[in-house]
Amino acid sequence: MVADGRIPDEPRRAFQASLDAGDVTATMRSGQNLLGGNPQAGTARFIRRAMEKTFVGHPALAPLRVALLSSFSIEFVHDLLIAHGFVEGLRIELYQAGFGQFRQDILNSASGLYAFDPHVVILAVEGKDLVPDLYRHDAAEGRVDLESAVTEAGQELAALAKAFRERSAATLLVHNFTPPTWRRLGILDGQLGPSQAERVAALNAALAQLCRESRGIHMVDYAGLVQRVGTSAWYDDRMALYARAPIAQSALPQLAREYVKFLRALAGKTKKCLVLDLDNTLWGGVLGEEGPRGIRLGPDYPGSAYLEFQRVVRGLRQRGVILAIASKNNPADVDEVFATNDHIVLRPEDFSIVRVGWNAKSQSLREIAAHLNIALDHMVFVDDNPAECDEVAHALPAVTVVALPTQPEHFVQTLLEPGYFDGLSVSTEDLRRAELYQQRDQAEELRAQSESIEDFYRRLEMEVVFAPVRETSLARAAQLTQKTNQFNVTTVRYTEAELLERQADPASLVTTIQVRDRFGDNGIVGFMMARLAGSEMEIDTLLLSCRVIGRTVETAMLAHVCEHAARRGAQRVRGRIVLTSKNAPAQDLYDRHSFQRKPGDPGGATDWELDLSAGGIQYPEWMKIVSEVSAS
Amino acid sequence: MEERIRQIMADVLDLDPRSIDGGTAMDSVESWDSLTHINLCLGLEQDFQVSFTVPEMEAMLSYEDIIRVLAEKL
Repeated sequence: MVADGRIPDEPRRAFQASLDAGDVTATMRSGQNLLGGNPQAGTARFIRRAMEKTFVGHPALAPLRVALLSSFSIEFVHDLLIAHGFVEGLRIELYQAGFGQFRQDILNSASGLYAFDPHVVILAVEGKDLVPDLYRHDAAEGRVDLESAVTEAGQELAALAKAFRERSAATLLVHNFTPPTWRRLGILDGQLGPSQAERVAALNAALAQLCRESRGIHMVDYAGLVQRVGTSAWYDDRMALYARAPIAQSALPQLAREYVKFLRALAGKTKKCLVLDLDNTLWGGVLGEEGPRGIRLGPDYPGSAYLEFQRVVRGLRQRGVILAIASKNNPADVDEVFATNDHIVLRPEDFSIVRVGWNAKSQSLREIAAHLNIALDHMVFVDDNPAECDEVAHALPAVTVVALPTQPEHFVQTLLEPGYFDGLSVSTEDLRRAELYQQRDQAEELRAQSESIEDFYRRLEMEVVFAPVRETSLARAAQLTQKTNQFNVTTVRYTEAELLERQADPASLVTTIQVRDRFGDNGIVGFMMARLAGSEMEIDTLLLSCRVIGRTVETAMLAHVCEHAARRGAQRVRGRIVLTSKNAPAQDLYDRHSFQRKPGDPGGATDWELDLSAGGIQYPEWMKIVSEVSAS
Repeated sequence: MEERIRQIMADVLDLDPRSIDGGTAMDSVESWDSLTHINLCLGLEQDFQVSFTVPEMEAMLSYEDIIRVLAEKL
């Protein structure tokens, strides 16, 4: 047992119990409780050691190599980062560059950084280390050319980013910069010429521009983070001068959480669906007791706080988060609120599925997950009632449970702070997702009316478009590899930069799949990559969004590979299935399409082969096929 | 207080709490380097809800020094 008497007893006992039981999901959940608020350094160390002892190599944890490069001592965040990653299902391995060695590590292609072969590199540089003159009190304007100092700093960042990209396809996260705490001219800072604050803002704008123009380089809004916490609470001047560790111990958990938002997104763990309670969550009061006119939802407190929360929820929907309701109420009362309340922000059509009744909430969540075809670990459940939260947390440990605080004015912060829905790109598909799911519902209804499955396919009037990855579809293609878990034969995640590399390889077929049907355009819902080696075309990536599973789109994809392979003179098509706990829908793909299983399987995977001399695979007759792939 | 100090030292320095005694010092413990020293100071600060000055941190180079510095502050 690790010694740390200060970890709260009850959550610690729960953590220890799930650890002893070897239950990784329950351990992650109880670890989350331990790390809530402002955890002590010892708590993070305790969780890190427990995880490294018990769950290293556990298939539920996604391994992620993260390199930290910084201009200051950032080592004190290690335990927190690894612990916060673990409770999100990440097994983080760290590389720490030597103190202030970020330039050397990036520029030297034989450095420890590249030998570590990181997935993600975090570049944490304080403004005063990059542009000392801009932060120095004795660097008077006029004698020191601050404008060119800032321009040069921006150019140096661009050069470092370029050098990095030439040596690695890893994702690069770059801190932006905080303005000086104390301004050289005090209250005159903004009055005489460009202020120090404006110059820092210009540097941040240059960095933002650099990130927008690059692939796989993202800005960590460090300035925004420090601002949320407050500069005087964030920095510890004593440790800055004594140990070159400027960030206060009490602020480090927030830095770790900010990093984890990026890592979660990169690992394909961004949450997709928000399930909401109604009473005392979307409005104040209990509808069944106080009636549709008795609840609080309007311009005056506390109704104003619930309105504010509804606006935030609506904003999430506009970002592509699927909304659902799980409430214990009479459906007619709920309908009446939506129909008669003058102030309500959310509309019934904002919700892709509504479960109002008297079942256990966990049961409603299961139904919602099944209906939407979404995995439980992509769902967030929000409720004010601790008993309901507890019921869901125990019955469905994979669901992320957000217990709302007592006062509704804190709901917004509680929901947004963890960044569960934050992704690294927003695609058109995201923005239309809720609508797309409604189209899918209509398609399912059609299926229920149809006499045979083939009739159903015909009446869908599907059009399937195969196209190379383009500027406009690159973000979506990378996102599909990062997010798709069910119909995914190998579940390899790719960044945009890696896809561009593959696209440039003449032996590779890199194709997006777009599906339209009579209900509308589903957008890009599939992606595959194959590579010609000798007389064999090997499929290494083939995935399909769950929105279009069960419509023979996968058959069309295999037909497309066969067509392409035959055109390039291949004799066989090969494919591998890497078995995961989630990709059951994809596991019989090759078997269903007459591939022969090859003997001598590698562990956890099966290998398949199709001889093209028998004619390959034909496109389903009920689809219109559009191929925009160049005939090379 | 001494029990809590031993626990924090054991945790940060990865030692058996029972092995910590008057002879436990930065010079004699391999895992007690400048980095873990900062971790130790910060861990003690969080646990005892105190704030050390730099001279105090520089003086806390052994188990007995830590007891002495903390006793003065509490």
